[in-house]
Amino acid sequence: MLDVAGLSVELARETESRVILDEVSFSVPERGLIGIVGESGAGKTVLGRALTGWVPEPLRQTAGSVSIDGRVLTTLKPEELRQIRGRTIGYIGSDPGTSFDPTIPIGVQIAQKLRAVVPGTSRDAAKKRVLDLLDQVRIPSAARRFDEYPYQFSGGMLQRAAIVDALVAKPKILICDNITQPLDVTIAAQIVRLLRGLERDLATAIVFFTASIPVAKELIDDLLVLEKGRIIERGGIGAVIAKPVSPHTKRLIDSSPRIWGQNVDVPRPAPAKEAKSEPLLLVADVVKTYRVPDRTRFTGTLDVKAVRGVTLEIRPGENVGLVGESGCGKSTLSRLLSWIEEPDAGRIVFQGKDMASLRGKERLAMRRRFQLLLQDPYNCLPPHLSVARTIRTSLDIHGVKGAEARDKVRAVMHEVGLKDEDAERLPIGMSAGQRQRVNIARALVLEPTLLILDETLSSLDPAEQSRLIDLFERLQVKHGLTYLVISHDLALVRKVCNRVAVMYLGKIVENAGNAQIFDQPSNPYTRALLSAVPVLDKGPFNPAECLVEGEPPSPINVPTGCSFASRCPKAQDLCRTDEPAFTPLGDGRGGVACHFPFV
Amino acid sequence: MGFVFRFLLRRALQGVVIMLLVSMAIFTILRWDDSKKDTPARLILGPMATQDSIDRKTEELGFNDPIPVQYLAYIANVFRGDLGTSYIRAESGMSLGATQDDIQTQRASVMRLMTGSLPMTLQLAAVALFIAMLIAVPIGVAAGLNQGHWPDRLAVYLSSIFVSLPNFWLGIVLAFLLTAQLGWLPSIGYKGFAYTILPATVIAIEMAPLFIRSLSVSIAAAVRQNFIALAHVRGIPSHTIFLRNVLRNIAVPNLNLFGVQIGALLGGVLIVEYIFNYPGFGLLTVQAVSQRDYPVIQGISIISSAIFVIANILVDLVSAKIDPRVEL
Repeated sequence: MLDVAGLSVELARETESRVILDEVSFSVPERGLIGIVGESGAGKTVLGRALTGWVPEPLRQTAGSVSIDGRVLTTLKPEELRQIRGRTIGYIGSDPGTSFDPTIPIGVQIAQKLRAVVPGTSRDAAKKRVLDLLDQVRIPSAARRFDEYPYQFSGGMLQRAAIVDALVAKPKILICDNITQPLDVTIAAQIVRLLRGLERDLATAIVFFTASIPVAKELIDDLLVLEKGRIIERGGIGAVIAKPVSPHTKRLIDSSPRIWGQNVDVPRPAPAKEAKSEPLLLVADVVKTYRVPDRTRFTGTLDVKAVRGVTLEIRPGENVGLVGESGCGKSTLSRLLSWIEEPDAGRIVFQGKDMASLRGKERLAMRRRFQLLLQDPYNCLPPHLSVARTIRTSLDIHGVKGAEARDKVRAVMHEVGLKDEDAERLPIGMSAGQRQRVNIARALVLEPTLLILDETLSSLDPAEQSRLIDLFERLQVKHGLTYLVISHDLALVRKVCNRVAVMYLGKIVENAGNAQIFDQPSNPYTRALLSAVPVLDKGPFNPAECLVEGEPPSPINVPTGCSFASRCPKAQDLCRTDEPAFTPLGDGRGGVACHFPFV
Repeated sequence: MGFVFRFLLRRALQGVVIMLLVSMAIFTILRWDDSKKDTPARLILGPMATQDSIDRKTEELGFNDPIPVQYLAYIANVFRGDLGTSYIRAESGMSLGATQDDIQTQRASVMRLMTGSLPMTLQLAAVALFIAMLIAVPIGVAAGLNQGHWPDRLAVYLSSIFVSLPNFWLGIVLAFLLTAQLGWLPSIGYKGFAYTILPATVIAIEMAPLFIRSLSVSIAAAVRQNFIALAHVRGIPSHTIFLRNVLRNIAVPNLNLFGVQIGALLGGVLIVEYIFNYPGFGLLTVQAVSQRDYPVIQGISIISSAIFVIANILVDLVSAKIDPRVEL
């Protein structure tokens, strides 16, 4: 039905011309799930868009064709192409946050599309069809959501709405460009499950682009592997994973996240706890609430309870992981720990000193000892300062001047793997990995003892990620650093953290050693989180039993009782009335906040 | 809808504070001159008045009180709807000049002077805006949709030319050409609607470049948005996308520019009305300033700031209606 023959696309700018797609050929039958897997930069997005006849400048289709039901897209008149786009193809992009017009209610936009591509649909019929589909993709209270605006939807809900939009005119083919990539694992798993059901119920062919082989394995039947714009491997998904022909595919499979199984990297053990060793960082009952105006009432505000009483201890030399879904308060906590914001209540004690009691110079001096590294390597470097100046600015602030500062900058640049000639470069043109090294250098030059890594490695490709993990390990051995790793990437945490704290709706619900968390977690939420991680090896937790439906409650309306009760498969009456306290399990098995933990 | 009322209440209070500050500043500055040469009493009574009658007048009008006391008396009257009485002008609108005649009723109330001239200025401003949009919308939209191509360049050239024309010069040239030489359009004074067109055109040409620029930049940014590109892939016709999505999304920044431009509009009116002898707010202002007619200047400043405040409240309300994310 969909036929791609020898498709080549080039990026043609005045200064450069680059091949993006190189003689790609495949066809999609009436039914079936085809997966196209490739790393970032392999040409997935360009291919996905070309399937809809969308090859915008400066891209140029140089050879080949895309045809649907025998009609070649490039030969169609604009009006004919528009008809095919709306009715035969449904396209879902990777960024749900920008897929809808922010000024029009979601349901209205989808109904408008239906009426635009299927002339003669009445307003009521369109609305009914949209409501039916919103129900079918399990958007709760669809009738109310119909009239809500995109900013009122979470990423996962927006992606469901985008699926509805793509399916509303009953297309024959659904093109999904990396649609699970920006979502949390539990939500991504729900979306994958949803797509599987839709393919069965709606008799739609699905072309699914993804960077992750484990995600593809969950969903698709046939696999194509894309590398640098060429299809280098194709076959049934099981066969390809079992016996990849091309070395690139093998590498992709090998670099897939591994959490369980034989060849899993686990961190080297933390230095043995000395009986009386002081914790490096002690966080006690920390609370942070934000006030936002309540738009529904004349006066008054709403309280967003971002962090609701977190207690955490980090010992010197230890790597502690902090995991949880987006919106659970991880980043707010990292801002509190790095003293960018002050907590409303509770204490943060660093090296025996209560941060709240420090003022002025003392506080500045203490700040040198803990440094925060952020996720986005692009926006956190001043674009007009050279690398050396950026690193030196840290020293300027803390009063290190002259030749001493110069030597320190040079030494630290060597340490993180930057070259001397990088010193005078501007960040523009540097890769994400190099920028992240500049960030590390900027923090490291102050000789901190604690580094808070807030999703620091999340935006890097796997190869660069593992190089930086090695770097962090070397730095730890040399300088005796302690890391707090805040991440949604459970495979990364499995690889580097000695101890893991799981956060849900502003609280820590489980805190235990690496092996304990990953092999015998006590909290049902931890199990749900782990069962949702797409991995190639079979995990110990059956998604059908553990996986949760729905989304976390809003931090504005925190439910009474256990905040996870609304999604928990084990929830009982007690859970809906009483909030479980955080209790140690004994035998060094950490602690858990749950009335009915797995033991 | 509670937040809308809260917004209105807050903004109305802010507006009152702004107007009080403006009037206080104007009031104080006007009375700062302590050279004792041209006191208000002297302005009213004229150069021929005896020192004795001037002193009596000064005392009678309370000019010997400290400035804050005078201001409080004035503002209390303003809240009662009384903006005072012109020093110079008669009910007929003619300048009385200095006279020793003490009968105050002969002099025009400020309120009356303004209700006479404000509608004229509103008419001028509305026509000017209409002409400005007539110029700016087609050029700005074409430039925004064709970034880097000839409509975009045309917009830049045209805007540069418009911006470089001084309004007084343009006014004089147009009046000379179209009225004096060709006789196509009347100007100078006011004897009917046609007299509005030339001054309005001058103001429109002054304002158009800003709207062209703002429209083209915001449209160019809007069409680069992901949801606009995706709308094409979703099979929605291009003209529908433009009317339904692009226009909605550029409305807020352009409305805000409009709100700010109202100040410039009131300022532009000042000079243009003077050049064309157009009997509006601007002409009244220029005359009041040159004659040191303090009550009129104060009244004008209060009304102008009220117009500015109310227009911007309206702009914010409409913005919030269009884009639900706009915080009120």
